[in-house]
Order: sequence, then structure tokens, then C-alpha cells
Amino acid sequence: MSAVIPFHRVNVLTGLKAARVVEDATEYANLIGKAKRPLLVLGPLLLRSSTEGKLLLEYALDIARARNIPICATETLPGKVEELGAKPDSSYDAVEIVNALKDPAWKGVRKEGNHDLVIFFGIRSDLGNQSLSVLKHYAPHLKTMTLCKYYFPNASYSLPNFKKDEKWQAFLESLIDNLKKGV
Amino acid sequence: MAEVAEKRLSIKLQEIHKLIRAEIPWEPVGPTPMPEPPDLRSWDMRLMKTYAPWYAPFCDVCCLCTYGKCDLTGGKRGACGIDLSAQQGRIILLACLMGCSAHAAHGGHILEYLIEKHGPDKKIDLGPFIEIEAPNIRTVLGLKPETLGDLKVAIEYVYKEIAHLLDSTHTGQEGSYLDYESKALHASMLDHVGMEAADLAQIVGFNYPSSVADVPLVEMGWGAIDKTKPVVLVSGHNPATSTVVVDYLREHDLEDNVELCGICCTALETTRYSDRAKIVGPLSRQLFFMRAGIADVIMTDEQCIRTDTPQEASKVGTAVIACLDKAMYGLEDATDMDTEDIVRRMVENKEHFAILDSTKAAEVAVRVAMEIAPQRRKQWITTDEATELAKKCTNCGICEQVCPNLFSIGEGITEVAKGNFDLIKKQFNLCIGCGKCEQECPNHVPIFRIMQVGASMETWKARVGRGPVMDTEIRNVGAPITLGTIPGVIALVGCSNYPDIDDIADMVDEFARRKYIVVLTGCAAMVAGMKKDANGLTVYEKYPPDFDAGGVVNIGSCVSNAHISGAAIKIANIFAALPLRANYEVMADYVLNRVGACGVAWGAMSQKAASIGTGFNRLGVPVVLGPHSAKYRRLFLSRKEEDDWRVMDARKREIVDTGEPSPEHIAYVAETKEKAMVMIAKLCIRKNDTPQGRGIKLNHYVSLYKKYIAKGLPPDIQLFVRRDADIPLVYKKEIRAYLQEIGWQPKEPVGLPTLIGTYPSKVPLDAVIH
Ligand code: SF4
Ligand code: SF4
Ligand code: SF4
Repeated sequence: MSAVIPFHRVNVLTGLKAARVVEDATEYANLIGKAKRPLLVLGPLLLRSSTEGKLLLEYALDIARARNIPICATETLPGKVEELGAKPDSSYDAVEIVNALKDPAWKGVRKEGNHDLVIFFGIRSDLGNQSLSVLKHYAPHLKTMTLCKYYFPNASYSLPNFKKDEKWQAFLESLIDNLKKGV
Repeated sequence: MAEVAEKRLSIKLQEIHKLIRAEIPWEPVGPTPMPEPPDLRSWDMRLMKTYAPWYAPFCDVCCLCTYGKCDLTGGKRGACGIDLSAQQGRIILLACLMGCSAHAAHGGHILEYLIEKHGPDKKIDLGPFIEIEAPNIRTVLGLKPETLGDLKVAIEYVYKEIAHLLDSTHTGQEGSYLDYESKALHASMLDHVGMEAADLAQIVGFNYPSSVADVPLVEMGWGAIDKTKPVVLVSGHNPATSTVVVDYLREHDLEDNVELCGICCTALETTRYSDRAKIVGPLSRQLFFMRAGIADVIMTDEQCIRTDTPQEASKVGTAVIACLDKAMYGLEDATDMDTEDIVRRMVENKEHFAILDSTKAAEVAVRVAMEIAPQRRKQWITTDEATELAKKCTNCGICEQVCPNLFSIGEGITEVAKGNFDLIKKQFNLCIGCGKCEQECPNHVPIFRIMQVGASMETWKARVGRGPVMDTEIRNVGAPITLGTIPGVIALVGCSNYPDIDDIADMVDEFARRKYIVVLTGCAAMVAGMKKDANGLTVYEKYPPDFDAGGVVNIGSCVSNAHISGAAIKIANIFAALPLRANYEVMADYVLNRVGACGVAWGAMSQKAASIGTGFNRLGVPVVLGPHSAKYRRLFLSRKEEDDWRVMDARKREIVDTGEPSPEHIAYVAETKEKAMVMIAKLCIRKNDTPQGRGIKLNHYVSLYKKYIAKGLPPDIQLFVRRDADIPLVYKKEIRAYLQEIGWQPKEPVGLPTLIGTYPSKVPLDAVIH
């Protein structure tokens, strides 16, 4: 069990099953690369900008494009995703997408079968961690991972709490490079 | 054996019939008078077949007994045999029972107090326009309450059921999450009974406004409070305390000399009694206002009062009187002590007391306030002082980590240190007032004191809570609501755990402008008035106070929520002429299938909010919750593509597969107010909408989607178009083209949709035909 304390204390783990912290972008790229049917679940926090003025959503779309990963654009995101030239495969909100994902027989957002790796990015941390709890407990058939700046104990794999935005963005850039390279 | 069972049942039923005076034939007694958990279980199971409980466990373990802690992950069961889902259901039931008991005990206390004052035979008279005085009590118990004494029958029934339900949470009993949820639905239905009894007693006993829409506007905000006068603050929910202060001030001609203000629902209650009382604000402003030290005396009663009130008050020299036995804070009980002694000890020794006699408490409060006010310094911070104090902040970020609303007040403080107050002003609207930041700050930055520069001194107007919706109003709007031409009734209720306090006024404005009926209670009713438009008007000034299209109605405090469920029942009873007496299943089925109403508990925080919302759910009213509410652990969600959307068409007496997910969910969490609004509009769609009504509803759904989400059409629009006539005019071309592209096929609308007949129920199909 990991002893990492989440950045937002309301998400502190009460229990036994905590996410494995991954700090190496190559390892993350590998995990994504190995997945047969990954899914990106994107949240409204991606409408904020990075320290370099890049919309966080652009990182997410770069990741999606690098491996043709389907996108579930929650909340107010679909319009922006379209504006940036991508098409959301689903516009379920967080609670709806996890509700579908926990059914192993669900066909997935592209009707190709349920997903085996679900990547959360940009959902506020309390709602994100609770939605991940649904999957941790009721979807043993899939793994989950997060790309936000903070540690999410209810995921299978999570980033650590990054103190500096720059380091986190560097991680995302490196992840995108690795995915593009086909690592 | 069978004979014995039959006999026992009949004695029980006889007792019930006696309690509800079954012999008085105002309506025939329906199938479930004073129901117990099994009586409406099949309705619950049918609801949960479509809207399955969605569980987001808050923890991996159970620690409720000494067998534990038990690890419940990975399908493991606890030492008692319980699994993770049933454990979630158990916690939900506990939460709903806490909520239900808070309101029922409030009702019980108020009734005792008012029966003492007026006698048990005091008539329930809600004025010329309200004949169906107690739709929840009539529907659930089968009793038509005529006096305060009759309301006691309702409360005692709730008490009995609470004991019964709480019993099932003991280790080693109920083992199914569905049964736990059914019990939670039962507890929450009872919550609406308890709330109704409590508020009816209050309206009658305190002569609150009733049968009137145009109730007064009262002042709101700390800016409205004259700090140069002695200030008494009432905090909590129970008006037995605060109304007596009003009486005392009136009797002693002190209304101009002493400021009486309230926080949380007691504020709403007090303004229903006297429009000279002032509303400080919702629960989220409690600690902030206490620390500002403006109140000379705080009188606490019950529910949603901070548990550290005496400690916080002592820090700023405010005196505290705990007025109810629910929260005595370990204080000395001065109920039987000499009044002069109490006043002296409070003034000289700065002691706090519990005083459980409200007349005595009121006198002490006013006298102490008048004595200590001249000695106290009540100064709002200056910008210079704030800038100086803010310099202690090193922007270390600790406060952000402990903030339940997940933002960095430290950044705002850092800006203040530079003389910039814009950010802290914005952040003040995000702050839910928990105090965690200041507690954890390693540099002891006085965050709340500094936040005063962000807190607007503006004053606002809120309309006084007006109690039940009038029968006459129901007659007028019954048809347009059920046909869909009034697109929906939106009920904004519950606590102030908002992502942003402005969200409420924004949502009210959006839906009132679109001619929905907007009703409000509790903290939501207050904060709706805490934002002004470009013309300086709050939503209460901008929109009419009528329960009609485009009206904005403050129904009242938390216990007034029962009048919202009551209004839904009254539509079935008054407009559709369906008998309600002991006929819960028929009422709930009608509301679910035909009344386009949606609850919004955007800042739900408490267990009371859990039971209020779950009570609405059992009655067939969907509820949209804010993002924090994922921490309640349970929602009720459908899966629109997979679920069974068959209903009985009662006219044709055949089961029809509508494929239409209306309403799609009954307990939902949205992350942003924008998405919440789109979802709320969608959740007002009902299967019995006429083509014209459906067109109006879809018009709002599509236009809100386009305004807040994306340029195109909502991707599920085809599920809600039955025939071409349903398509809203404005989007006709676009929707037709889309429907054609995806190969949509028209379907017949259902004449009289009902779930009765689709599951095992004692209710015959004829019971829903009117
Ligand atoms: S109640 Fe059951 S699950 Fe909970 S601690 Fe006791 S044995 Fe374990
Ligand atoms: S915890 Fe204190 S010092 Fe640190 S950022 Fe917050 S206010 Fe500033
Ligand atoms: S008091 Fe306000 S700023 Fe401080 S932790 Fe609580 S919500 Fe956050």
C-alpha cells in the first residue's frame, strides 16, 4: 500500500487499496500502449491554461491523437473539443461513463467492446476520486489512471502530487512524445 | 397459523384505522395507510430496476463493530457477512435516518411547544386558498389532520418507523443493498411527513403567512445590520427560540433598539414571523459572521449550527445561549436559574449557558446584548489593515490542500498583500466557510479577518417564505405542467456547499426567464437573492412571486420542502382528481410519469439533504446534485441505451416500449452549473407531454445545450422525439436533418403512461385512470 497523501485532503484514502504512483512518462506510455481499448475521460478543468498559455485540453487531444484513443468529453467540454478539430466519442458525464464502464458487457464508446484502461484527466479531484472509486470497487475488469497534477488514491495508477506546474507539464509533453514514438 | 396471522393483521389495521379516523369518508382509504417498510417495497424495487443505485464507496472498510475493521474490497465480505454494496446501502440508510429524525424531532419539539401554548385542539387553518392542508400526511398516513393534536399522530408514526428502520442497520441483519435502499427511500418519504407536520405546526402556531403569494421582501446581508445597536443572532432551524425574541422586543418596545438577525433556516423562520428581522445568510457564512464578532449574543437551536459555537464566540467576546437540548455544548443548564443571576454571570464572567425555556432565553439574550454591546468593538477590517495582515502569508499552499472546495485562498491572500482585492472578492463566493484553512495555516494568518475585505457590504432582498403552494394555483398550472406547456417546476433546495455561491441566482434566472416555475427553500432560498442584475435587482424583485410560469417562489425553510413534494401530490390530487388517501404508490407513479419537476440540491451537504432528496426520489422527482455530492456515495442512474423504458398505457391497457428515457436519472451529480442546467431541462421531460409541450421542453433542452455545451444538437435528442410534431419550431430543420441521417423512426406517444401493471403491485390499473 502506498503512503502517498493526496494533495486535496478531502480525498485521503480510508482503506487498503491505493493507486500505484508512476513518475516515469515512459512507464505511463507503456501502460497506455499495452492497453487494447483505452479511453480518455476528460473534464472541465482542461479548459484552463498551462503556464505556457496552452489549453490543457490540447495535451489531452495530443494524447488521444497519438494513439487514436477514444474520448469521452464530459460536462461543457464537447464544444471545445470540436473547436479544436476532434470529435468526442461520448459526451457522458463522469458519473454516467463510470456507470457504463462497470458493466463488463458494455460495448464501449466505439462499440468495439468495453475498455480495459480508463484515463481520467481534468475532473475536479473530489468527483474524480469518487468516480474512480466506482471503478476500483465495481470494475475489476479494467484499470484506471489519472493525468491530473495530483495523486488520486482510487485510481490503479496515478501521478504523484506535482509541486510545480512546469514539472507536470513536462511529464505530459514527455508522455506525448513517448506515445508518438510508439514506446 | 394462517388464521392467527390474519387476526394479528386485522388488529393492527384496526389500530391504524382508528388513528387515521378511517370512518370519516373524505376519500376512500387506499391500500397503504401508515405504511411500514415492506408496504411500498415493490414500488422501490421497480424504481431501482430502472434507476439502479450507483455506489462510489467513500472507504474500503467497515468499522461499525468489534469484529472489524473489515476489508470489503475485491468482493470480500465482512465478518458479519455483509458485502460492499449492502454496506453502502446501510450508510445511506443511516444518513437518511439522521436527516429524517432531525426534522421529525424538530416537528415533535415545535408541536410540544405549540400545544403547550395553544392546546391540542388548535385548528389547522391555512387560509382561504389551501384546503389540502397536508398532502404528504394525507397520502402517506391516510389522515386528514385538523388540529395540532392530529399532527402529533403523524410525528409519532414517524418516530416509530425510525426505530424500526434504525434497527435494521445493526450488525448482522439486512443483507441486500436493494432492501437497504428501499428502507432509505421509506425513511426519506417519512422525512417529508415530519417536515410537513413541523411546518404546518409553525404556520398555524406562529401565524406565518399562508394562502398569499405576495409576501414581503426582507433585507439580507451583514450590511443591513446596524452594528451600533446591540445585535442578537439566532442560528439554526427552530423558531420556538427566535419568535420569542421578536415577542420580547415587541412587548418591551425595543424593536428599534436591538437588531435581530438570523443565519441558516432560523433566519427564514424569523422573517416569516417578523419582516423586521434580517437574514445574515446561509450556513456557509456562519463561521465568518461569528468571527467578525458583530453579534453580541448568539442563540443556537438545532441542526446546522456549528459545534464549536461557544469556543468561537468566546474568542470575540460574544455571549452564547444554547436554547435546545439537541445541542447543549457541555454548558451549564441555567433553565431553572434566576434570570438576574444568569444575566450577571454572562455579562461579568463572560459565561455561556444552556437555557431550555425559550421565554427566559429570549429575555436573557436581549438584556445581555444590551449590556455588553456598548463595551464591544465591532470593526470591519480596513484595506490597509488587511494588506498588512496578509503579509504574513508565504503562499505555502497548505490552505489549498485542506480546502473542501479545492481552491487556494492563499493566492487571494497573497494578492491582498500586494493591495489587490479582486481575487479575494471572487474567492469569497467560493468559500463554504469551513475554517479548515485558518486552522492549518502554519503562519497563523488570520484568513477570516482578511476575508472581510472580500465580503461585500452590499445588502440584498429576499422574499419571505410563504409556505404551501395554494390549491388555486395548482388548479391553474396543473394542466400546463402535465401537458408540458409550462416546461417544468424547478426546486432549488438544500445547503450551501456550492462550487460558487452565485450559481444559484444564475440558475434561477435562467429558468425563470424561460418561464419554468422556480421554487426555493433553505439556504438556496437565501443565496438566490444574493446577486443583483445590471439593474440592481435580485431574482426576487425581478420575477413575480407566483407559482406560475416565470415565477420565483420562496417556499420557506428546510422543513418547507414538504410543500414542494406536497405541490406535486396536489397536482395529482386536485388537477387529476386521483384520490390520495393512503395511496402513495399512485401519487408517486403519477408524479414520475406526468409531472415535469426537477429538484436541484446544488450545495447539498447534510444528512437532511440526503433524506430530502431521497424522499423526492421515492415520489418520482429527479434531483440534480452538485459535484461534492458524489461524496454521498450513492446516486440513482439509468443507462438510457440499455434500460427498460416500457410503460403501461393505461388507456389501451397494454405495455408499450417507449425507448424514451424520461426522466433519465433520478439522482444525478453534475460538475458544472452549465451542465447541470442542461440536465435539469432534460429531466423535466415526461412521457405524457403533448406534442406542443414536448416541443417547448425540447426547445429549452436544445437551446441550453447550444448555449453551454456545443454548437450542434444534444447527441440523445432522437430518444425524446416521438413524432415530427414534437420537434421545436426553431430547430425544425436541423433536427429533421439529423433524425433522417441516423434513421430515426417515429413512435406513438403513450396516452396514459404508468408503471402500474409493469411490476407486482396491489394497486389495480384502474386506480391510475382519472
Ligand atoms: S459490521 Fe460487519 S463489516 Fe462492519 S466491522 Fe462489523 S463485521 Fe465487519
Ligand atoms: S496556509 Fe497560510 S501561509 Fe500558507 S498560503 Fe495559506 S494563508 Fe498563506
Ligand atoms: S474556509 Fe473557505 S477557503 Fe478556507 S478551507 Fe474552508 S472553504 Fe476553503
